[in-house]
Amino acid sequence: MKGPIFELRDVWKTYCMKGVETNALRGINLVIKDGEYTAILGPSGSGKSTLMHIMGCLDTPTKGKVFIEGREISQMSDDELARVRRDKIGFVFQAYNLIQGLTAIENISLPMRFSGHGRGESQRKAKDLLAKVGLVERMHHKPNEMSGGEQQRVAIARSLINDPDVILADEPTGNLDTKTGKEIMDLLESLHKKTGKTIMVVTHDTRLAARANREIRMIDGHVVEK
Amino acid sequence: MIDLALKDLSEHKVRTILTALGIFIAITAIVSLGSISTGLNQLITESTGSIGSDTIFVMRTFDMSEMVGPPGSYQIEDMEREDVEFLASLPGVKRAVPIIARQFGGMFEVDAVDMDNVDLFGVENVEFMEGTWPDNEDKGAVLGYLAASTMDVVVGDYIILPGSKKDIEVEVMGIFEEGSGAYDLVILLPYEFGDEIYETDGGATQVMLEPTDVSVVQEVKDTIEEENDDLDAMTMQDALSMMEEATGTLNIMTFGIGFVASLVAAIGIIITMYTSVLERRKQIGIMKAVGAVRRMILQQILEEGLMLSAVSSVLAVLVSFFFVEMLNQVLLGGAELALITPALAGGAIAYGVLLTVLSSMYPAWVAVKTDPIKAIRGVM
Repeated sequence: MKGPIFELRDVWKTYCMKGVETNALRGINLVIKDGEYTAILGPSGSGKSTLMHIMGCLDTPTKGKVFIEGREISQMSDDELARVRRDKIGFVFQAYNLIQGLTAIENISLPMRFSGHGRGESQRKAKDLLAKVGLVERMHHKPNEMSGGEQQRVAIARSLINDPDVILADEPTGNLDTKTGKEIMDLLESLHKKTGKTIMVVTHDTRLAARANREIRMIDGHVVEK
Repeated sequence: MIDLALKDLSEHKVRTILTALGIFIAITAIVSLGSISTGLNQLITESTGSIGSDTIFVMRTFDMSEMVGPPGSYQIEDMEREDVEFLASLPGVKRAVPIIARQFGGMFEVDAVDMDNVDLFGVENVEFMEGTWPDNEDKGAVLGYLAASTMDVVVGDYIILPGSKKDIEVEVMGIFEEGSGAYDLVILLPYEFGDEIYETDGGATQVMLEPTDVSVVQEVKDTIEEENDDLDAMTMQDALSMMEEATGTLNIMTFGIGFVASLVAAIGIIITMYTSVLERRKQIGIMKAVGAVRRMILQQILEEGLMLSAVSSVLAVLVSFFFVEMLNQVLLGGAELALITPALAGGAIAYGVLLTVLSSMYPAWVAVKTDPIKAIRGVM
């Protein structure tokens, strides 16, 4: 039996907007095991993205503890969190978030450059990943020269370049049509099957969520169903 | 990561060009102004360096407040023959060389000096373009390059010296090589001949004294001033202090203008770099989200500044060489007064780079502090 890759203990996230406090997460307790394929469902504003950001080390909890492979991340510095994001986690955003001035291959190689590898080495690996997502012929195209589906495939390739243990995808099909959305979910599913990586996907689509091994439902900052 | 910084600069050409222009103008202003200071300092060092460091200059007491008007419009009164003889007879004086000096044309000067003692005048090592020194008995003169070219004369021609009491023709017997510093602007002739032309009757505008030993310099100066109220004695040290005071004022002015130019450039760099960071906030957020640590963000912004400033500063120095050449040729009639030394050029480039890197610090810090999630969402 594999151990937990994520463990959240009584995690709260409170935002303060113009003096009004809003709890996006209200005491989340959650364990995600290594190699699990988990779907997170829930209405808008239920705290799904906040949960993903905290698990993806993009944000820190207001209260509670978060562990990745047994290491507590809630007290880490900005740079330590950046290193965890770089080496352990691949993040796929709904809006792709590719750098507009860089080509597909440059966007994909960026996290590897940040981990100290040279341009040539990083771009060789990026090219292999482009082949895996079926976009080699688009490698010198910039994001605005590609379709949404192509951009999301580039973003998935970027999330894989440092061979992370976990892929976190925050509504990766949210901006795509049904057919392209299905292609992206197929890609994530095959990735899980082939590599055994831990995958967590936030989605509104119950049919897509049903493809995961585990479903987590969120309402008003609580995990209500596992 | 230099390639990424370079890519970002080329992606935003207008912003890059405007920032570069600010640095370029500041460095060009600093180098061009600095060249005048440097040139003057060098001229003074060369002129004083060629004259013995223990030499004492004596002239008739004059009131500085009377020396108003354009250069050359005020003529110091000559000393009498008795004064010259008194100076030559002083204990501790090895040589007394009288000089009759007359200024003309704003920047030129006629100096009549004993041809056997030109070494004390500091001119014996100046190269000739043509001709040679006149003998003491000759009715001829040596002209500085600019004096000769302005009067349009060659060796063998005859000239009437400005301010002559008699219409005596002076033969041009030699012309100094171009670029001989202050000697480009002089006309030198034998003392006896000058005495005849200007009817000074054995007097002199200035007497240069060579002491028997450096230790008696102050003693000789004090004796002159105590025994003759009409005379002022100036040691080389006094002369240097006076000239340093004059160039000091110019240096302060250069520094002031350079400082203002730097300040304007620095504000320009801060504004453009800061705008650039705000424009790229999402990009910086994405970079942080996919694993860039703070040092890498800082490094990219500073690398951009470094490349921008290195290119603009080198370009500014190259263009300044052209400006300075124009200044020397067009405004100063070929006198190499403004001068860009390797130290000035190198210093200006280093200063440009330092200025940009320092000005990039605040925008870089703003970039480093960017919250990835807020930046990606476009929330401030």
